[in-house]
Amino acid sequence: MKKLFNVGFEEVTVAERRPFGLDELTRYPLFAPDFIDFMRKVMPPERHHELVFSIVVTARKRVGEAPAPQPH
Amino acid sequence: MAHFRDEDARAIIREAYGQVRSDGTAVASTFYSPEELSALPKGAVELALGVGQPVRCAELRPGEVVLDLGCGAGIDTLLAARAVGPAGHVVGLDMTPEMVERARRNAATAGLDNVKVRQAMIEEIPLPDASVDVVISNGVLNLSTRKSRVLAEALRVLRQGGRLSIADLVLDQALPEDVLKSPAALAG
Repeated sequence: MKKLFNVGFEEVTVAERRPFGLDELTRYPLFAPDFIDFMRKVMPPERHHELVFSIVVTARKRVGEAPAPQPH
Repeated sequence: MAHFRDEDARAIIREAYGQVRSDGTAVASTFYSPEELSALPKGAVELALGVGQPVRCAELRPGEVVLDLGCGAGIDTLLAARAVGPAGHVVGLDMTPEMVERARRNAATAGLDNVKVRQAMIEEIPLPDASVDVVISNGVLNLSTRKSRVLAEALRVLRQGGRLSIADLVLDQALPEDVLKSPAALAG
């Protein structure tokens, strides 16, 4: 979120947020069963249902101002 | 701290997404409605690999120009194309040639001629300044080792007042080092 403001966006808003745990990972063909097993062993049980959060962020480009500096 | 060099990260991601195969709709069913999915080609639905629904939050309007960063097999590109209609158009960018081919094929299968898919890096968007109304992206920004650069490029191509809608994963707590060093975790 901070990166969006720093680059020059405004009205930065988290439009959606939901937990993403091991059950969600098993749906993705990118993750092999042995990777899921690895995550189950490495991550504490209390985090299995909430490893990360999936969010949708919306933002807007300013109107009427000079462009923000471009980072390299 | 970066656990992979830029070129290594890109190679891992390109290989993972170039080789991915799926015969299920588990991911798509998580984020898209049955009505949305029924209107899309099977090839786009089965290879939906995003982590949210940025098109829904983008509030697209007929006639708008949309850019989909890291479009993959095109599920969001196609949904956006339907939303903006024939007066608008959608550009999908992906660095993986296999995904570009799939997205083009899916757009043709869907009968959508207001879609153009190009192979490109999202850190170097091949579009003019202020040429796009909306930028969308789904589960892609985290794959870049130069996120600020991607966002700066998105800002550059947006018209004044243009909108951004991106879905991705964020952490509330750090992941263990073993996970952060895993190529599988990087690609996912």
